[in-house]
Amino acid sequence: MSGTTGSANRVTAHALRRELHASRAVPSVITGILVAAACILLFLEAVLKAVGDPPFLIDLEKVAAALGRLPGLLPASVLVPAGLLVFVLGLVLALAALLPGRRARYAVPNARAAVVVDAEILAATLARRARLAAGVGPEQVLVTVGRRRVEVSVRPTSGIPVDAEAVRWAVEEDLRGTVAEPFPTVQVSIAPSGVIGQ
Amino acid sequence: MNSTPRALNRILLGLFGLVLMAAGAATAAAALIPEAARTWRAVSSSAAAGTRSLGVRGGEDWLWILLALIFLLLATLMIIWLAVQGRGRTGDFIKDGGQEPGEAAGTVTITAAAAEQALKVALQDRRDLVNAAVTTWRFRGTSALRIRVYPRQGAAPARVAEEVAGLVEALDVVLGHRAPVLISISAGARARFTHADRVS
Repeated sequence: MSGTTGSANRVTAHALRRELHASRAVPSVITGILVAAACILLFLEAVLKAVGDPPFLIDLEKVAAALGRLPGLLPASVLVPAGLLVFVLGLVLALAALLPGRRARYAVPNARAAVVVDAEILAATLARRARLAAGVGPEQVLVTVGRRRVEVSVRPTSGIPVDAEAVRWAVEEDLRGTVAEPFPTVQVSIAPSGVIGQ
Repeated sequence: MNSTPRALNRILLGLFGLVLMAAGAATAAAALIPEAARTWRAVSSSAAAGTRSLGVRGGEDWLWILLALIFLLLATLMIIWLAVQGRGRTGDFIKDGGQEPGEAAGTVTITAAAAEQALKVALQDRRDLVNAAVTTWRFRGTSALRIRVYPRQGAAPARVAEEVAGLVEALDVVLGHRAPVLISISAGARARFTHADRVS
């Protein structure tokens, strides 16, 4: 039985990892379509060359010859920006391949299933908890959730002080009850000027 | 949950990225540095000479046919790469054949719709969820359920997760089978625009 539990845990961990990282399907599909279209055009032109028909859109022989004389053919004011543009496109693809691509989601510990929660939902929940702890209205609390840090900013009601430590404690407790480790650190900032309360 | 080939995506994107970076850098360098321009011309003329000598040996048509076949192969590979993105939905939740000795012959199939509908109906009655979607995917050799719930504003995700997992455990008991389950608590567009449920 422990064997099946172990493999179930591995499957759950695998599902979580996939759910927390981007699949790179969108850049892949765009790249795939462009490369496939280029290959089909080049295939067509090569076939036309092979049977001796006039070219359809580009003459492969002429293009190849022009490519060989490119540094002298076009001025540097055209070639340098074009080269840089191609370089930047390549850099974007290479970064998509190398960067982890974390999604704004968090794992929720659960014994039975792999559970993930969107950062937006988590922020709304923490804002609600912070509002109750601070005793202010919903418009007076702003929560920003990052991977390492949760920022809570509270605008207190005029004349009623807010205990930042109590808010921090409440938000931290809620966070620890919701997401899996490592926990983001909670920072609470109280605005120096208050507002008329609701 | 889908079977998008993530490693392949990253490898191919990295490959195309490197090729484009090299081509762009070479073009800019050839325009700026005279030495690089000379190298560019030398490489291209030697490549042209090599191609010409190949063409002399077998006739020029043969080279064009080879080139056409290479491009056809590349285009086919690209289309296969496109086709394998985002696949993996399945219609069978459990398919159990009586292969073991002593078991009756035949197969037992529980369709994905059975498990999906059971969970959907259970989730529909909840006031703290705007919507729920249940789908079945082929994942690591078994069928896995993906439950996507869209909670109303103010619903605690930990509690939603706990209770949906409870429903899954009830389904486990009914079907006698523990499938991998992913519960995704999402902020859908509808959840964002509806007001918090004040009476809860």
